Amino acid sequence: MNWTKDRSVALSRVCVVLFALCLAALDGGAYRLSQWFVRYRFGNRQLGVLLMVSIYAGSVFAWVCLYQLWRLLGRVRGGAVFDAENVYRMRVVSWCCLSAAAVCLLSTAYYLPFVFVAVAAGFMGLVVRIVKNAFQQAIAMKDELELTV
Amino acid sequence: MEIRINLDVMMAKRKISGGELAERVGITPANLSILKTGKAKAIRFSTLMALCHELQCQPGDLLEFQE
Repeated sequence: MNWTKDRSVALSRVCVVLFALCLAALDGGAYRLSQWFVRYRFGNRQLGVLLMVSIYAGSVFAWVCLYQLWRLLGRVRGGAVFDAENVYRMRVVSWCCLSAAAVCLLSTAYYLPFVFVAVAAGFMGLVVRIVKNAFQQAIAMKDELELTV
Repeated sequence: MEIRINLDVMMAKRKISGGELAERVGITPANLSILKTGKAKAIRFSTLMALCHELQCQPGDLLEFQE
């Protein structure tokens, strides 16, 4: 790997860490956020509880996603790009995005703007899924190339 | 239904070892082994040509279609 590629993977890993820190801050501040939500937006205490449920449910998928991305980047840095394990990790990431989209979609029942997050997460899941399909095809082509004498 | 490679038969007829053939053809012994064991998914024309040249045979002598 040359200098640029090394730096690129390192930058991606830094971004994953930054996202993890933001997610941890969101998890830690979920209660305050829900309090603010209740105080300034609706005034209904039950909605604050629902918001916390949405945040923590989405957070589980986000943590799984970040872990898988971290491991994926580790493998890419090690030179193992087109292999079955990476495809598995991308599949998990894709399903996490789609699951988070489902949580957000359910959350539109009490707060309609969640639909934007749902669409973004669903679209991201779709993109990762298509990349995963491309990786699967690339692995098949690589296997064939390796067995071409 | 498969394409079978009769490389070992032709090598025995010409009394040539795997290592020597691999060296003459310009492929690694590992790749020659892949060919011999039928694990190969494809063969380049250049490799086939070199094999035919070294074994003094036709492609049909090396490749056989089986139902």
